[in-house]
Amino acid sequence: MTSAISLSVIVPVCDAADTLDRALSAILASELNREDYELIVVDDSSSDTSPIVAARYADTVIRLTGRQAGPAYARNRGAELARGAVVAFVDADVMVRPGTLGGMLQLIETHAGLDAIAASHDRSPAAENFASLYWNLLVHYGEQRDVAGGSFTSGCVAVRRSALFSTGLYDEWRFATACLESVELGKRLERAGHGVLLCRDLQVTRLKRWSLLSVCREVWTRSALLTRSLGYHRTRELAPTEVVFTLSRAAAPAFALVSMVILCSAFLSEPGWPIAIAIAVAGSIIANSSLYLFFARARGLPFVMAAAPVHIFMQCVGGIALCIGRLMRDTVGDRLPDAATQAYAEVGLETWPPVPRPQ
Amino acid sequence: MHRVSSDDRHDADFAAQNSVKADSSPDQTPPRRRTPRLSLIVVLPENHVVSPDVLTESLRGRVDRHVDVLVACAGQPTNLSALQRSIGEAQFLLAPAGTSTEALRELAIRQAPGDIVRLVSGARFDSQVTEQERFMTS
Repeated sequence: MTSAISLSVIVPVCDAADTLDRALSAILASELNREDYELIVVDDSSSDTSPIVAARYADTVIRLTGRQAGPAYARNRGAELARGAVVAFVDADVMVRPGTLGGMLQLIETHAGLDAIAASHDRSPAAENFASLYWNLLVHYGEQRDVAGGSFTSGCVAVRRSALFSTGLYDEWRFATACLESVELGKRLERAGHGVLLCRDLQVTRLKRWSLLSVCREVWTRSALLTRSLGYHRTRELAPTEVVFTLSRAAAPAFALVSMVILCSAFLSEPGWPIAIAIAVAGSIIANSSLYLFFARARGLPFVMAAAPVHIFMQCVGGIALCIGRLMRDTVGDRLPDAATQAYAEVGLETWPPVPRPQ
Repeated sequence: MHRVSSDDRHDADFAAQNSVKADSSPDQTPPRRRTPRLSLIVVLPENHVVSPDVLTESLRGRVDRHVDVLVACAGQPTNLSALQRSIGEAQFLLAPAGTSTEALRELAIRQAPGDIVRLVSGARFDSQVTEQERFMTS
């Protein structure tokens, strides 16, 4: 008889065969005894070879069929099969370091009040294009800020199995897409009195290659979902490091600066475009100065020159999406599954894969 | 007993046969089920010999619970006939000698019909399959 498994590592995957191989290889290269953990890959109806790639490394492969139901749903199906006292969720585009999983497990095992822990993103993503560098540094900056508490990021997290089940698993009902589901779970864990920690020393590397379009889409989705499904003020209070707040943090001082520029221009006989632009650029730089200093230290001045206009644009996108999300919440309401799913859930249809369940 | 392939086939034939089967079985639209279908893949690396008695004893009860068992071997085990006699319900996948463990796992999961597929290395088989495993989701 083998000893009890202490850790179950669950990797949800959906059409990510290109990064899954590296992600699973990194997990197997962890400084953990192979007998002490199990590796479960949950394939969310991939159309590529993800389940085949998963079979090379995993102890268990769960193949979900039908519509893609999202990472929250996939993680829950994996958690239901997990045997470990601690359950770790690692994204299919995340490469853990050799000590990451072991470190998380050790922290949870040695701190009785700590029930959930999240690793943070490192400074260097696998993809070296500008958009990936910008987004990764922005997320890293948000996670590394010295604030009380911390957000429960989705890349690599570990939770005591008992705490996860007593809290009700991930919210697969409202979060059908890969966005903020872990932040929501972290909030729920904290409200239930469980200790949650974002560990800045335990880091992982993102393998995903971002484009400016995909960054823009991500900012839009996160911002809209924040105000629509979580509620802006409650989330801001409990998740201060969420990247959207890194983007929107400069909104208030920027607004003050713009107001001041408008006021000053009223006293000028001929303000002129160059002066107005110079004042606006200076205002933006001052408002985002701490982030730009961080960018400069990490990647140098040329990177800041390129990132500044992109950042201003993303702030605009985030701001608009926050307003749209709030509007949607007040007019349409929270996001819910389609009518058929709601009907199946209401009558308690038993099927495989199971119908998503509300919290 | 279901024999998927044998050593005396050419590699090309082996690959073709398996690709056809892989295309046909998992991609079919499955009928609605209330519970997941379960598969257990036992991966036997080349030159690894497992006792038929150990295998049978370990699989007892699992077959009763409607688990599809697939034994994937790299090369033909010396005691293949004994293994086949001892576990009549299992499907045997005989890959050419020299097939890596990773490739063997890939071939096996293409053949496995289960929604939940457990893969067990033959090297760890003796200890692992005796453990109580919770296949069913809550």
